[in-house]
Amino acid sequence: MSRIVMIFALLLASSLSSYGADSAVRVELDSTKASPRSVESLTEQVILRDYRFAWMSVAQAVEFNTLDPLEGAFTGEAKQWLSQSVTNQQRSGLSQRYADQNHKVQAVFYAPEGDVMELHDTAEYQLQIFDGGKLIHEEHVVVHYVVLMTPAADRWVIRHLQAVPQF
Amino acid sequence: MRRLLTICAAACLGAVCAAQDLHGPTSSTAGEEAAISTTGSGKATFYLLGPGVSRKSDISLGSEVHLQAQDLQNAGEYFAVLCSDTCRSSSFYVTAAKPASLTFLVHPSRVPVGQGDAVSGVAFPFDQFRNLVLTPATVNFQLMAGTASLSSRSAQTRDGIAWFRTASQKSAGTLQVDASLGDLSARRAVQQVASDPCNLRIKGERTKAGILVQTEPVRDCAGNPVPDGTIVTFTATEANGRSTVDAPIKQGVARAQLEAPGATVISVASGVAMGNELRIGAQP
Repeated sequence: MSRIVMIFALLLASSLSSYGADSAVRVELDSTKASPRSVESLTEQVILRDYRFAWMSVAQAVEFNTLDPLEGAFTGEAKQWLSQSVTNQQRSGLSQRYADQNHKVQAVFYAPEGDVMELHDTAEYQLQIFDGGKLIHEEHVVVHYVVLMTPAADRWVIRHLQAVPQF
Repeated sequence: MRRLLTICAAACLGAVCAAQDLHGPTSSTAGEEAAISTTGSGKATFYLLGPGVSRKSDISLGSEVHLQAQDLQNAGEYFAVLCSDTCRSSSFYVTAAKPASLTFLVHPSRVPVGQGDAVSGVAFPFDQFRNLVLTPATVNFQLMAGTASLSSRSAQTRDGIAWFRTASQKSAGTLQVDASLGDLSARRAVQQVASDPCNLRIKGERTKAGILVQTEPVRDCAGNPVPDGTIVTFTATEANGRSTVDAPIKQGVARAQLEAPGATVISVASGVAMGNELRIGAQP
């Protein structure tokens, strides 16, 4: 009986945890200033969905030091450096947590043929850096990201993700 | 006594604060070495986290931490953390180095002639570490047919992107599109093909097997030969019915054999273009 209770508790904790990670990434997208092509409503919804998913994936990858979440949401240079980060974290025993993510995203360029979009993301989150299980740094950060997204077979993926001091 | 203890505690905290601190660069360029100075004495652990980087090392406080060029290849924000009894941190940005390559996207690869705003190109300058160069730079776009320059224009990169859009030319053939930034250049080709057929003309004659009908060489309105494979539709209308045959253009001409024993009117169409009508008498 106690084993069943334990399994149930684990399942409940797991589902609550995944709900927490999911709901902790808030993304607002403003595509009214995108040019030269205007962003179609359906494209805007998909970008919003895929960009949010990408940041959930980043958070999981750097917290649990696993490369799996990076599959699908990233490609090109972005995937390369994120993978390097995770691999190096595995070696050094470090991990990071991006908690309470809040992204204010503006689409600033949408190519005439619709094959690339540039976003400016002002991201705020609680950054925690751990050495093993020990918290060594915690800070509320505001980071400006320049992002290039390109369409893949069934989603938009982040090809380039670069933090800058300001836009 | 309590006041004395407070003063002592404050003095001790002050001593700890003064004992250990770090000062990173305000900014750095990708692929260049940098240094972080530390204060204090004794041993400490130094951490560096940034895009693609996560490293940890033991250092002696008071010395300078040397950041190697390979640690700072990716542009972005880096965090340096120094821990002994407590932890101190500092952050700095690495910006892209000078442009070393130009990514150039041109669409479409094949375009009908004479279409407005039909060809577009987008150029992105990257440094040698594939960081997007966000410093404004001038990209020159040049359109060429063979060795003849058709037009050129300059565009300043904005947020790492320069782009252009233009109409396709009037003559079919390869359109070369060059993008250049300083010594860097990239070339793409767009195949300009004839537009829709124009002024379709047919001729035909009755044979033993029916009516053999064929077009004159099919061209667009600018006189470019319409590509082989384009479908031409022949329609034969008799008193008792109508039949249709689709034929692809081969070597510039489309041909079809129609079975129509009675007096027949033959019409031709391709895309939105209609041709002349041909009247053929009944089989003797």
